[in-house]
Amino acid sequence: MTDLLATDLISAAPLWRSIEQPLALKALVTTIGVALIAWELWWFLGRHGGGVAARESAAGWQEITITVDGGYAPTRIQMKAGRPLRLSFHRIDPSGCVAQVIFPDFHKTLDLPLHAITSLELPPTEAGVYPFHCGMNMVRGVLEVVD
Amino acid sequence: MQRELARERTLLSRKVSVAALLTTLVVLSSLPHMLGGGHHSFLPAWFTSPWTQLLLTTPVLFWCGRDFFSGALSAFRQHSADMNTLVAAGTGIAWLTSLFSTLFPQVLIAEGLPADVYYESAAVILTMVLLGRLLEARARGHTSEAIRRLLQFQPPTARVLREGQPIEIPLPQVVVGDLVQVRPGEKIPTDGVVSEGSSWVEESMLTGEPTPIAKASGDTVIGASMNRSGSFSFRVSRVGSDTVLAQIVALVRQAQSSRTQVQRLADQVVGWFVPVVIALAIAAFVVWFLISGNPVLAMLFLVSVLVIACPCALGLATPTSIMVASGKGAETGLIFRSAEALETAGKLRTIVLDKTGTLTCGQPEVTDFERLPGGVLPADTLLALTVALESRSEHPLAEAITTYARSQLKDRELPMVNGFESVAGRGVQAAIGSQQVRVGTPRWFEELGINTATLTPLVERLELAARSVAVVVVDGRLEACFGVADPLKPTSAAAVAALRRLGLQVVMLSGDARRTAEVVAAQVGIERVIAEVRPADKASVLKQLQEQGVGPVAMVGDGINDAPALAQADVGIAMGTGTDVAIAASDITLISGNLAGVPAAIELSRAAMANIRQNLVFAFAYNVAGIPIAAGLLFPLTGWLLSPMIAGAAMAFSSVSVVSNALRLRRFQPAPLPGAAS
Repeated sequence: MTDLLATDLISAAPLWRSIEQPLALKALVTTIGVALIAWELWWFLGRHGGGVAARESAAGWQEITITVDGGYAPTRIQMKAGRPLRLSFHRIDPSGCVAQVIFPDFHKTLDLPLHAITSLELPPTEAGVYPFHCGMNMVRGVLEVVD
Repeated sequence: MQRELARERTLLSRKVSVAALLTTLVVLSSLPHMLGGGHHSFLPAWFTSPWTQLLLTTPVLFWCGRDFFSGALSAFRQHSADMNTLVAAGTGIAWLTSLFSTLFPQVLIAEGLPADVYYESAAVILTMVLLGRLLEARARGHTSEAIRRLLQFQPPTARVLREGQPIEIPLPQVVVGDLVQVRPGEKIPTDGVVSEGSSWVEESMLTGEPTPIAKASGDTVIGASMNRSGSFSFRVSRVGSDTVLAQIVALVRQAQSSRTQVQRLADQVVGWFVPVVIALAIAAFVVWFLISGNPVLAMLFLVSVLVIACPCALGLATPTSIMVASGKGAETGLIFRSAEALETAGKLRTIVLDKTGTLTCGQPEVTDFERLPGGVLPADTLLALTVALESRSEHPLAEAITTYARSQLKDRELPMVNGFESVAGRGVQAAIGSQQVRVGTPRWFEELGINTATLTPLVERLELAARSVAVVVVDGRLEACFGVADPLKPTSAAAVAALRRLGLQVVMLSGDARRTAEVVAAQVGIERVIAEVRPADKASVLKQLQEQGVGPVAMVGDGINDAPALAQADVGIAMGTGTDVAIAASDITLISGNLAGVPAAIELSRAAMANIRQNLVFAFAYNVAGIPIAAGLLFPLTGWLLSPMIAGAAMAFSSVSVVSNALRLRRFQPAPLPGAAS
């Protein structure tokens, strides 16, 4: 009985068997479960660090290099409003999902060849939060423009 | 990039084949168990052993499914969770549990549990998801097909005259000013102006207009269009990224990388989705453990919840539809500049049509030239003054008058013009010699206090015949009057009818006299006319309509004079002239300049938005229904449980369905124009 098809269970297969567990074990499993949920939500949804600020460079440009490997590193990029930004993407992840990066607010799509650095220049913008994501919208990053 | 994608797809299909083969063996191997017991197995014992299953499953997970695990791990390090996280966690947990019962069966047996293994579940889920990903990659390849097809129209080489000799050179080497030869049946390599010869050229791949267009010396040709019958040579005017084709491709790509309002909502959901699903999976484990005390059963619920959830379907719902719709638009000569334009076009309630160049051909011709009772100048002197003045103006009426007067004058010398001034929406004036000459609307002269009583019956007659009237006044004396007709485009009336059928209020905006405008409006079936509007005031008229109207307002204009109004409108629609798509200020560009494109654009927008809604509803409903079932919520009521394998299959095919639904938009056809013969 290795499978769990509906029909198997209706026939009350040996798998569907209640086992009396000690209360202490039940309490322990519950506690660990709740703690795991809390930790997991904090890890994925909580704020981790304030983001990485873009480097200042000549002629008022702000520059940053983002490594594309499963996600964008750094994920949150802080930049100053009213200054142009040059983003360089270094893609080392072979997965096709991240072969494209899209900046919807700027109407820009950038193809990222594997093992290469591809740059995108963005015009100066107002303060705000400008997300970017991969072609399938699963891998995400955000530009935080502050005054 | 294309080659990289193709290589990736080849690797993916190889992985799917390997995974499918190994998974079949694993399922066969676990068959005796599945059928209950395995006492009289027809398979050798070594084949059904957990160790064999471990051997067969491990490469499925960690070679075929390597990307899921490495993707999940790197995403985890970035504090993000995605599709990979769910698949990797689901299959990984099933594999680990099985590994435990393979290594330490006695531990489970001591607990009163069967020492079962679930390798086949892990393998089947992974194979299903991989297969889904392959199908999805194939389908997604089709979504950008329209652009690829457009680019394929461009021939790789051009026959260029160098030192009088025709030589074939690669397209990138062609420069502006080159003379290019085109033979019958050949594609035109780039944009230019015909210098010799004539032909019929098919521009349907760019404009969506099926009828070939006559091209002779002086006409412009567009790169990637198809030469039909004749031979000609043309002078190259644009190459590379400046060409019409390149601009269309750039605009479409731009639209495909923007997002709609609905998508912003989906995006927010996707951000929360995976962590919440993981939390639900853990909760399902805890609850089932508390209910049954059976950790193996609880583990199966956990795996089911993880693998049934499909954030991909949510993430893919809008972009794929937008991708297909904007590509489809490009095929029919409708260029959407952004996803928002595509979204708003379907919600339009009011559409404002500019008269000249939109409803009419925009090539006015003088039909009447009448001397007025008080006039004293000889006809040719008057015409010479008119030409001298009007040739300085860029107004389309002025061009028509200049052309007409020149044809009457032959080669007469023109007098000098001093202090030329153009009064917007009124006319032009200048000093010519000792005389003050004005050409403009009858209303202007009324405003200037000139007695126009003698003019009124004539103006009325001309205006009722849909003529625009221009009066020539010299030193405050009414001299002559021109009636100018701008014929309607053949499809205008049908397009207006189609717009009304779509439920839109159609308004005509014109700088012309009210009577002229109303006559033209009546000819095309428009009831609401806003006439005598100066070019600069068009934007404020639009603003008023937006304030009083219900729903978004679109403006259709030629894109050059109407730029402020196009920008003010919720959707600015520019009528291209076939050669100038540089009018990127608009939200939608109709390359053909055919008004029939406007209802087609609205229909396409509605079809696309309906498609997006279907996708989103499906994706939400799938997840909202699937997750509780996987968590075993229905079990107490109906006894239904979902196998993790079925959950994995459902997940894989939900994103395939979303993409396939979006691909249905490729078959979109605008409704034929009412009463149109063609």
